[in-house]
Amino acid sequence: MGCFSSTQRRQFPGYENPVTLASETAFSVSEVEALFELYKSISGSVIDDGLINKEEFQLALFKNRKKENLFANRIFDLFDVKKKGFIDFGDFVRSLNVFHPNAPLEEKIDYSFKLYDLDGTGFIERHEVKQMLIALLCESEMKLADETVEIILDKTFMEADANQDGKIDRSEWQNFVSKNPSLLKIMTLPYLRDITTTFPSFVFNSEVDEIAT
Amino acid sequence: MQSPVYYALVNPNLSILMNMCFIFQRITIPEIMKDEWFKKNYKPPVFYEKEDADLDDVQALFKDSEEYRVTEKKEEQQPTAMNAFELISMSRGLKLDNLFDVEQGFKRETRFTSKCPANEIISKIVKAAKPLGFDIHKKNYKMRLENVKAGRKGNLNVATEIFQVAPSLHMVEVRKAKGDTLEFHMFCKNLSSSLEDVVWKTEEDMQETK
Repeated sequence: MGCFSSTQRRQFPGYENPVTLASETAFSVSEVEALFELYKSISGSVIDDGLINKEEFQLALFKNRKKENLFANRIFDLFDVKKKGFIDFGDFVRSLNVFHPNAPLEEKIDYSFKLYDLDGTGFIERHEVKQMLIALLCESEMKLADETVEIILDKTFMEADANQDGKIDRSEWQNFVSKNPSLLKIMTLPYLRDITTTFPSFVFNSEVDEIAT
Repeated sequence: MQSPVYYALVNPNLSILMNMCFIFQRITIPEIMKDEWFKKNYKPPVFYEKEDADLDDVQALFKDSEEYRVTEKKEEQQPTAMNAFELISMSRGLKLDNLFDVEQGFKRETRFTSKCPANEIISKIVKAAKPLGFDIHKKNYKMRLENVKAGRKGNLNVATEIFQVAPSLHMVEVRKAKGDTLEFHMFCKNLSSSLEDVVWKTEEDMQETK
């Protein structure tokens, strides 16, 4: 059980006032405090500096700090809003907010578009989709002929690339995802609804008055 | 033997039932449920579960099949092709639930790939599921398997769907639509042993950390 005194907590690097974070997100103050418990364990797992670096993120996701993965890198880069090379608590909460079941669909569509737009050009280009597809096949050890990969890409772009310019823009993505809602499944984490039951230890460390919640 | 004092205060039908429970023999739950005293004003429980959107998809599918029966003749002859993004979404790097590091208990869905033709996969699943006591409803390459016997949380309902990844490679999704997750897990274990010659890569294979 953590024995953080209140002054220690405020000196925790990257810590942000849960009341502020709660006001800006779909999380309640108790939920933000529960997320802080999770954040503490991830951020201290390799270097105890109160910040989540790439290795710690990989460790949390794959139970293997050395595991490199294209998609985990994308998620890390998106969580690391200010491109500092690490994720602080504010980044953590604000990013997870998009994955909350109650977060607006628009935000999830936006986020997933940015996720797949690897080079940030504002378009999801065919070569990017190819790169991601190959990464997935490699990860799953599914060997497919290059020809087959091209067929899959052809079919995808036929459906998604309405103006057939070889890239998917934001509005084409929106239409595509509306027709294929399962593509946004990755953008919702049902666990976020029950976070206080998953991390109940926060009750011992809570600084905020019940009344304020 | 003298009846316990409390029996005098209680409905005589209840006291007979209680005798059966505690004194004469271990009455079973199904027998209790048949007893007149129990059945008075009894409403069988309805199990609500926090389902994700998948259940709506499955239900919509079956609603469709009733509304559009006339146009069924023009239905697709091939399993739905998986698009690149559906495949990409399967990456372990996008499964952020793993951050929560909770014992996730038993999974509610599983996938495997197969190099067999889609129709063969379907008939093998049907062959495996029927002896396990499941009713089969089929529409194109989607199936709904319903256990005729009620389990811990009602009748186990399993939805399966076959997708085409490539001309000779299919992805089979097996998903719990309703019922107890542990029972679903047992069903999957039974299914996978019957489908050994059909499965190319299981989800576990697909997510192996190199």
